[in-house]
Amino acid sequence: MPDQRDIEREDHELLRRMAAKDSAALDAFYERYNRLTFSLVMRIVGNRADAEDVILDVFWQAWQQASRYDVSRGKPVSWLLTIARTRAIDCIRSVARQRTTGDQPEDTHKESPTPGETDMFVLADVRQAVQEALRTLSEEQRVPLELAYFQGMSHSEIAAALRQPLGTVKDRIRTGMAHLKKRLKAYL
Amino acid sequence: MKHSQITDDLQGQASLYALGAMPVGEASEYVRHLEDEDCAVCRKAVTELQSVMSLVVSTLPVHDPSPALKARLLEQAQGTRHARTPFSPAKRRWIDWAAGVTAAAVLVLLAAVMSDNAELRRLRDVLTARISELQAQNDEQRLLVATLSSSDVRVVNLAGQGSTPAATGRIFWNQAKGRWLFYVYSLPPAPDERSFQLWFVPAGGNPVSVSVFNTQPDGSAALDIPVPGNLSDLMAAAVTTEPAGGVPQPTGPFALLGSLD
Repeated sequence: MPDQRDIEREDHELLRRMAAKDSAALDAFYERYNRLTFSLVMRIVGNRADAEDVILDVFWQAWQQASRYDVSRGKPVSWLLTIARTRAIDCIRSVARQRTTGDQPEDTHKESPTPGETDMFVLADVRQAVQEALRTLSEEQRVPLELAYFQGMSHSEIAAALRQPLGTVKDRIRTGMAHLKKRLKAYL
Repeated sequence: MKHSQITDDLQGQASLYALGAMPVGEASEYVRHLEDEDCAVCRKAVTELQSVMSLVVSTLPVHDPSPALKARLLEQAQGTRHARTPFSPAKRRWIDWAAGVTAAAVLVLLAAVMSDNAELRRLRDVLTARISELQAQNDEQRLLVATLSSSDVRVVNLAGQGSTPAATGRIFWNQAKGRWLFYVYSLPPAPDERSFQLWFVPAGGNPVSVSVFNTQPDGSAALDIPVPGNLSDLMAAAVTTEPAGGVPQPTGPFALLGSLD
């Protein structure tokens, strides 16, 4: 099993080859991260038909924009998941437009998550550490983080929903993220 | 202005940005700070926090996409298809397509023309942000109309309970899309340090927290909620009054309750 640094190095190489339009590199990059990305998109979008549209757009964007990836802007997986989250939030905001066009979803059946790991490229001990870090987050910190990241709510929308002052919400987001960062520093 | 060291305030801004919790206009300004002003301190904070969220994603329940998707992606990448239509639902209304293409073309043109001028870039960012805001508002209206007029929408009424007998709730459940539009009326705002919490109640197992919210001074609220794909056999929906920020399992009194049978 490779360590995190090896994985990151390989990811950089895959993106470099994708920028050179090597479709085998896209194949490998997709194999690495399709489950992780799809799991995030499913969490946000909530149905398979839309999530599959989104994930294709995500990897297509990665393919098209691989040449613009900048190592100084973060890890490749963070870059990919940022694209995925943005696309998924866009999707839930435009779902009505698809309905008004008369489109029918390709597959609307509900499914249970698959037991097991999201991806072999997220190591089991890392996942365990993250779960432990999340468990130690207070409810007041966890809820605003989830509303922002998974529901696409802005800080002011969160403050209104929770009926708390904006400053309180911002502070809880800051301290919650700082807590996670501190607990997970070894894996960043 | 470049920063020389991280502060709580800067850490807070980086957290909001990494979570996508900044409003569009504020985010545009922040991106300008990161990129045009090239602030390495803030950029480092953002990249670290984005990495944190990447790790959080690794703990989500696992879903596998269809194996056929990879073939479609690679086929597209290898240039055997030139249009992007395989990635989208088959039938897009032409006006949506034309509007999207036009908006993209305008933005690309603006980006190309303005790329060397900081002031014009700022104007481009403001216009881009405004377009996004209008698009979001338009999308919300379309969602409402589409859901209310959909043939597969299911309507679930919730009745006031306990100390809030006059309250009512209504869920428009778009079963095809797996979404709820949830409206609340005549439910007085929760007192200080309390929030309302909406729950899915499955036929077996514990209630599942859906959303923590509060009502407006007029007693109304509106929520747009994705129904998790792994939930089935929903028996009821309930709103309880809980400590502010919500709790893992319901502890407070019912404010609203409705059967999904």
